[in-house]
Amino acid sequence: MNTQASDIIIESTGLVKHFGGGGLLSSPTIVRAVDGVSMAVKRGETFAIVGESGCGKSTLGRLLLRLIEPTAGDVRYEGRSILGLPPNEMRKLRREMQIIFQDPFGSLNPRMNVRDIVGEPIWLHGLAHGAEKQERVADLLRTVGLIPAHGERYPHEFSGGQRQRIGIARALAGEPKLIIGDEPVSALDVSIQAQIINLLEHLKDRFGLTLVIIAHDLAVIRHMSDRVAVMYLGEIVELSDTDDLFDDPLHPYTQALLTAIPVPSPVNRQPKPLLQGDVPSPAAPPSGCRFHTRCPHAKARCREEHPRLEAAADGRQVACHFWREIQNAGSGALTAPPASPALTKRLALYKTWRERHDKTATPGL
Amino acid sequence: MMNTSALPSMLDHTRRKSESDAAHPLLKVENLSVRFDGAPAGINVVDDVSFAVAKGRTLCIVGESGCGKSVTALALMGLLPTPPARIVGGRALFDGKDLLALPDRERADMRGNQTAMIFQEPMTSLNPVFTVGDQITEGILRHRKISKAAASERALEMLRRVRIPAPEKRMRAFPHELSGGMRQRVMIAMALANEPQLLIADEPTTALDVTIQAQIIALIHQLQKESGMAMILITHDLGVVAEVADEVVVMYAGRVVESGPVEDIFADPQHPYTIGLMGSVPSLGRRQGRLTTIPGTVPPAELMPRGCRFSPRCPFADQRCVSDPPPLIELSPGHRARCWYAPLELHREPIR
Repeated sequence: MNTQASDIIIESTGLVKHFGGGGLLSSPTIVRAVDGVSMAVKRGETFAIVGESGCGKSTLGRLLLRLIEPTAGDVRYEGRSILGLPPNEMRKLRREMQIIFQDPFGSLNPRMNVRDIVGEPIWLHGLAHGAEKQERVADLLRTVGLIPAHGERYPHEFSGGQRQRIGIARALAGEPKLIIGDEPVSALDVSIQAQIINLLEHLKDRFGLTLVIIAHDLAVIRHMSDRVAVMYLGEIVELSDTDDLFDDPLHPYTQALLTAIPVPSPVNRQPKPLLQGDVPSPAAPPSGCRFHTRCPHAKARCREEHPRLEAAADGRQVACHFWREIQNAGSGALTAPPASPALTKRLALYKTWRERHDKTATPGL
Repeated sequence: MMNTSALPSMLDHTRRKSESDAAHPLLKVENLSVRFDGAPAGINVVDDVSFAVAKGRTLCIVGESGCGKSVTALALMGLLPTPPARIVGGRALFDGKDLLALPDRERADMRGNQTAMIFQEPMTSLNPVFTVGDQITEGILRHRKISKAAASERALEMLRRVRIPAPEKRMRAFPHELSGGMRQRVMIAMALANEPQLLIADEPTTALDVTIQAQIIALIHQLQKESGMAMILITHDLGVVAEVADEVVVMYAGRVVESGPVEDIFADPQHPYTIGLMGSVPSLGRRQGRLTTIPGTVPPAELMPRGCRFSPRCPFADQRCVSDPPPLIELSPGHRARCWYAPLELHREPIR
């Protein structure tokens, strides 16, 4: 699925975003939302950013698109820094880099009908006019599994899943190369979530997109992504190919995250070792390794010395002083129980009947 | 945190009689139907729902938005807003008494006492202008004839029991000063302060991060083991169901479509909705192609079919499914599915 390693579409170096602590009216405490993040996304891959509330994953997503300005560091898109670009050039670039938000209720203008919502980027970037523009809007709606007649309606007339489809159609309208999805499926019901995941994967293949998925659901990430960056309190603590990360998590935080996922099988229930306590505030991150207050392996060095993101085997990166020892402790790998024979059999039956059903009925993803 | 053996002694001794009979259900819901004013005739938001929970057991109600799981819980707690919602049929026998027929006064005496409920978003259930300690104490004083000092002592003990660090300090904290996980612990402390026999938990961990969710689930499980209460856990997360349920009820569009012991539901799912739902969840193992999906969405009440409510989205459905509501058929002891064609492999040929 990956193209050659050198083909980087977007990268960040030493990216920092601090909130507050500025002028007269802002809060005196500085929230270190993103604190020195360097990463590179390859063209054509699905790159996931995972972490819990307050880890800075959404802020990082917005920084990558320059929707907010960083405190320090650089973002390069296709080899050039986008931070110094004048507004008109930045606007041109925005066509290529789009975002889909978590909340399909808050991110669509309630006073615009769907045709205008989806057609706006086409008009804005002068991609088409008049009848040709309408034809493109109709095409886009079909592409995301809606019907062109939906164009006359307003956002409130749609369900959550349909609104997310509208948001995706709008993101596609400018013919982007890169789409960042900020929790694109987490507000949706399970069955609708599966539809949208499949739609995003289908569109990625069809249009050759690069996806950056920001999410907290590890099962969704394992399913969709090629590589994963795990964030904790504004920093990347581990970055790795998806299968390696799930089969052999190196950082103790990644191990704890995987252990915490409820396993969808009622056989062999066992109490599991759980992380204690809450995530500390990003306004006052702990000294040394930021995870040391919750880490079961923490030693004196972890309290004092901040671990750098260092290279491990297979192009992996991990920020932990003791990852070699911890890895050998053999904790955290996720063993997913296989589906039962009856479920496997009936799912196969379900799939064949669905395919037949799809051929005879209206298409939908 | 292991000082739990001392706890029950200070509480009342009047509710111990049903303890002897564990197989006898504590709560038995029979044919519960709830209707919203203005809905089309015959389309109930909760339709003919039956289930039972025994002491010390956990029943999980699983389903997606609009399946009626929360309405069912609110009806049992006597918290349904009427109008628009009205209970139009059924019984809910709790310790032999029909909860749905009780006068409001008796209902209020039971709520927070014999029965308690926790909600998804603790911030909307906690009063922002009172301290955590005051709110728990108030709940205890509402139902117990003890002194304020004793109630306050009991509240502190509850905070300790739900493993809140520095409980003396937290007694004086306001809800906004606590994290989401801590607030949910406070809610649990409040719900369990009067040692309810039945706890209804409506998506208690949905708003929480994974590591906090795991802590809360482990906590609820531990407290349930200690107290022997029955629990109804409402969730959309099949992983949570697999971890805590004894029995499972799968709901779709107001009806129970499948129910049974948790092992049967996962090892031998029968209803096409249950199967589609399991196929929709990404696996934690290596990727195996695209997800199986359930097409479309739940139809609005006006378009709800007379027959099987899942039929518009079901790949196996035919004309009979659309027009005739299927009964809940028992396929193995205690395992039922509401489908004309279960088990599917006997009635639906593989096709090429």
